[in-house]
Amino acid sequence: MKKTSGFKEYKKEIMGAAHDDRLRLALTRAIKSFRANVKSALEKFPHTVDMAEEVTAIKEKAIPNMEKLTRQAIAAIEENRGKGYLARTADEALGIIAGLTGKGRLIVKGKTMTGEEIGLREYLEEKGNEVYETDLGEFIIQKMGSRPMHITSPSIHVPREDVARLFNRVLGQEIAPDADIASMVGAAREFLRDKFFRADIGISGANVVAAETGTLFIIENEGNIRLSTGAPPVHIALVGMEKLVPSISDACKVAEVTWRYANYTIPSYVSLISGPSKTGDIEKVTTYGAHGPKEFHVIFLDGGRTRLARYPKLRQALYCLRCGGCLYECPVFAVTAGHFGDKYFTGIGAVWAAIVSRDMEKAASIAYTCLTCGRCRQRCPVKIDVPEMIIELRKMLAEGELT
Amino acid sequence: MDSDLVPPGLTYLTDNIISRQNILGVTKEQSARWAHGLGLPARAETVFFAGCGYQFSGHLEALMSLVRGIDKSVIGAELPLRFARFQKKLGLNLPGIYSMVLSRIGENEVKPLEAAVKVLRNLGLRPGYLAEAEPCCGAPLFQAGLQADFAANARHAYDQLKSAGVKQVIGVVPYCTHAIARLFPLYVDGYDLEVKHFLELVAAAVPSLKLRFPRKVKVTYHDPCQLVRFLKLIEEPRRILQAIENITLVETEWTHGEWATCCGGGGGFEAVFPELSQMLAVNRTRELLETGAEIIVTHCPGCIMQLKDGLRQLKVEGIEVLDLAEIVAMAMES
Repeated sequence: MKKTSGFKEYKKEIMGAAHDDRLRLALTRAIKSFRANVKSALEKFPHTVDMAEEVTAIKEKAIPNMEKLTRQAIAAIEENRGKGYLARTADEALGIIAGLTGKGRLIVKGKTMTGEEIGLREYLEEKGNEVYETDLGEFIIQKMGSRPMHITSPSIHVPREDVARLFNRVLGQEIAPDADIASMVGAAREFLRDKFFRADIGISGANVVAAETGTLFIIENEGNIRLSTGAPPVHIALVGMEKLVPSISDACKVAEVTWRYANYTIPSYVSLISGPSKTGDIEKVTTYGAHGPKEFHVIFLDGGRTRLARYPKLRQALYCLRCGGCLYECPVFAVTAGHFGDKYFTGIGAVWAAIVSRDMEKAASIAYTCLTCGRCRQRCPVKIDVPEMIIELRKMLAEGELT
Repeated sequence: MDSDLVPPGLTYLTDNIISRQNILGVTKEQSARWAHGLGLPARAETVFFAGCGYQFSGHLEALMSLVRGIDKSVIGAELPLRFARFQKKLGLNLPGIYSMVLSRIGENEVKPLEAAVKVLRNLGLRPGYLAEAEPCCGAPLFQAGLQADFAANARHAYDQLKSAGVKQVIGVVPYCTHAIARLFPLYVDGYDLEVKHFLELVAAAVPSLKLRFPRKVKVTYHDPCQLVRFLKLIEEPRRILQAIENITLVETEWTHGEWATCCGGGGGFEAVFPELSQMLAVNRTRELLETGAEIIVTHCPGCIMQLKDGLRQLKVEGIEVLDLAEIVAMAMES
């Protein structure tokens, strides 16, 4: 291991996190409530377990077909008077989005892991735009100048007392260190309220996309995505190609399994978006841009996904629904949060680092941090075999099969 | 093959396996000592596979505590582990020196193996033991990603077993048992060994056994990852424990069976992240202590080392960590 510098630095980061009592406190609380919630959600809707098997089969079929499904989705979106794009690389995706936004715009953003993957917010800010993260967790992260530490709960590592201190500093509102959570939520709401209506552009991701109709399914609880994708005149969505499934009914199953394993019986909101806002109420003349956005753009990102789909043992990483359940079961994550990872976290993050980001040192660091204990697989609705992937990846790294 | 990307802690273990056929790199004469006086036949169709973990648990414990100390210091564990490897290339046998120093603690370190043999005999089984001729399963090679080395080792180990006339293997160390039973067939043509884990044999015999622990105790069971999630031995240990008079099994609230938390000693992780591994051991020990058990029972040399360290770090006294083989042996005697 001549190139130990990368590993040494990474180990230092991991150990720093492991010695952070605040992080551990926040995670201990989160893991406990997650387990109780997911248990009761699955008990209340026991059919979810069988449905997860159906979803696994849907994903197994969809992933080798991503290319075709993307073309189908783009055609459907354009038929709906939206605009569809296929970006082969992260840079291409950033280029397309920056071309649409221009400079000096006010942008409200819903949480998107794919956006994190390509550094979307930072890029748009560099281009001279004012960008607001509107998901509460993501908003906290943005204000802290930190990075997300969990898929569905980006600020999982921040205990409430730290949020109070942060908000007191950045929101221009008096918030006591022992303030209740509701008043902190209220403060963020007040701060972001007018941004939604003043924004030129709203950006979102999507949890799953039905190719035959070009319909994005977006799951949320806060309502920030409804506002971000509904109030501004332009909606841009960035979606990884692995999110595509053939039909609306497939997408419904994927969505239900996703939120159930993400510990919700039912989320407050599921938005289905297939095109720009329109009305035909005056003389049956279809006119675009009624109350919602007049423009609807969907960028499908390859960014190494089709490459990943070609590795038989690693392909399963693309089945991931991003429910985040596995993270709560990882003993290393419980003390390090997302420091054990890169763009994506824990063992599966190593696969993304190696194949999608092509960062072998990072991939090796993450791969050798995995215990291969297999409890994540136990939790996973689509039974992603992380130990199997990790051992395969270690082999590919050790035997120099990856470049 | 010897890639720059494999962390030094792991290459240290894997080098030992390749050069000495055990994870610590100790000499052949130092292994198999535990079985002296047990009179196990060297040749038999059914053999007991002892593996490295239990045999060298005392050595491993001492080595880990050394490495952990260094890892917590400003030096970090990488350098010494690489140094140890380098020294060996020069012909200095550092592990040999360790084990000389440590041989005095070698007295009580093999109790689970002895106990397992006693239990098997009580079940009417008369397994042999290859002793110095026992090959290494090579599991850490597989874990490290050195599949070509693992495959070569597997074929070699398999041939050794076959040429010794072995038809059935009774495994006890989880990693070894998993490797021989599940991984060898992937790399060995015409594989036809029959592998049983110790717990399967005991659990099957439970209805005809009279088991009584010498005193009334509350015990909890820690599932080793390899046993529970890879070899799927979930009910077996529980059936055994519940059949023992005077033992009450109390489980952790959520983290038992397939949901058991790893002790932090998985697949060489402890060699790459000695300090973090200890933190995970402490976390797991805490979960087990919450049950109020007086004995933490498990069945893996790695888990035993981790959980004992967990208790030490938490400064808990009066709670024991025992191997399930020891528990059964004690319950058979009384």
